[in-house]
Amino acid sequence: MRNLFNFIIRNSHWLVAILLVAFSFYLVFTHNSYQRSVYLTSANSVTGWFYTASDNVTSFFFLKKSNQQLLERNAALEKELYALRRDAGKHEAADSIQVEAFVADSVDPPQFDFIPAKVVNLSFSGVNNFITLNKGASNGIKPDMGVISQRGVVGVVSNVSPNFSVVIPVINPKFRLSAKLKNSENYGSISWDGKNIRLAQLQELPRHEPFHEGDTVLTSFSRIFPKNLIIGYVSETGVSGDDNFNTFNIHLATDFYTLQDVLVINDLFYDEQKALEENLQK
Amino acid sequence: MKLSYLYEIVLFVFLILLQVLLLNRISLFGLATPVLYSFYLLKLPMGRNLFFVILSAFLMGLIIDIFLNTPGMNAAAFTIVAALRKPVMNLFFEKVEYDEFVPGLNTAAGPFVRFTILMVFLHLTLLFFIESFTLFNLMSTLLRIVTSAVITILLIITMDSLMYRRKASEHT
Repeated sequence: MRNLFNFIIRNSHWLVAILLVAFSFYLVFTHNSYQRSVYLTSANSVTGWFYTASDNVTSFFFLKKSNQQLLERNAALEKELYALRRDAGKHEAADSIQVEAFVADSVDPPQFDFIPAKVVNLSFSGVNNFITLNKGASNGIKPDMGVISQRGVVGVVSNVSPNFSVVIPVINPKFRLSAKLKNSENYGSISWDGKNIRLAQLQELPRHEPFHEGDTVLTSFSRIFPKNLIIGYVSETGVSGDDNFNTFNIHLATDFYTLQDVLVINDLFYDEQKALEENLQK
Repeated sequence: MKLSYLYEIVLFVFLILLQVLLLNRISLFGLATPVLYSFYLLKLPMGRNLFFVILSAFLMGLIIDIFLNTPGMNAAAFTIVAALRKPVMNLFFEKVEYDEFVPGLNTAAGPFVRFTILMVFLHLTLLFFIESFTLFNLMSTLLRIVTSAVITILLIITMDSLMYRRKASEHT
């Protein structure tokens, strides 16, 4: 008996180590991107503070590039605005007689509201990539909102604390999104194989679908993103596990290496649509 | 004695911040990421209390996990490495050396380098396999382990030689 006690006392550090490792594995396996606690992620305020402080320094180096992108985006929007104005002008001329009494609002209520946010941290060295933003619940951000950059889709909000939020980006194996090629309506699914952060994979697209290198890949039906947002461009055909479907590598439109500013999409009709659809499932 | 503890706390905090704010954003050739924080375990005195070693390693791993949104992964790998530290040390260093012996290039260059290589490979193998449990193929994981380990080992040796030089100049 005494020998047993001696043995336990002499080796108790192993016991401690085993307990701690067991606890760590418990964390690994119960860690779920949809229901994890804010305290054990970078959305908590202490880690958020460190990341903000570090970003204040590093964002300075990207100012030039960010400016350039903003200018380009501005130019594109301006062009679109003029095109729309001209178009609107034509309509005005065509039906100058309108029954004003029935028109409650001059413009339809917008479906999407955009919340600008800054990236305070970005991890893409491993397979568990994520992005931390400097806005959270107090700015109206909720889990499951879509996030886009000036170039294209970035990811989906997964965790929110009062002042920070964590985004699961396209370049995370947990990310799934339905997508289609620009000139068709057949849709496939976007995922990431963990190899290259510039390339994602478009799978399950029917084989008869014609395609060319450089074709634009857009969002399809999704509760999270508006339709026809740019995801990326077809770069090459990949290996497909199934004869009936094609798999492509797509070059992501968003450059995650220099990502600084993003927009969080607030779908004002999200709750309404969700309630309606869930109603049906009951 | 007390100075050594203070030095260890500074190293602890410095390595965590270095890892989460700088090194984890590096992905050389899309593969290699330096994982430098195991330097902390390498530089603890040889005879340090085993509970202290294991608990502080667990804490360090957990803090890094919280920053990187990977609960448990770094903590699990680093705790295992901490528990195996003593047996691994006994492989490379003479047992008779006194308790406050700190491994380093200045104290025992050859054994320290071999010790570093084994510890880093152990740590990264555990870490990357835990990280990619089901998802990815063996080859890319192995490639990541080897490339990351090479960079990490080079950085650790550079860092240790820099510290050694600074200390040497302090003495003169």
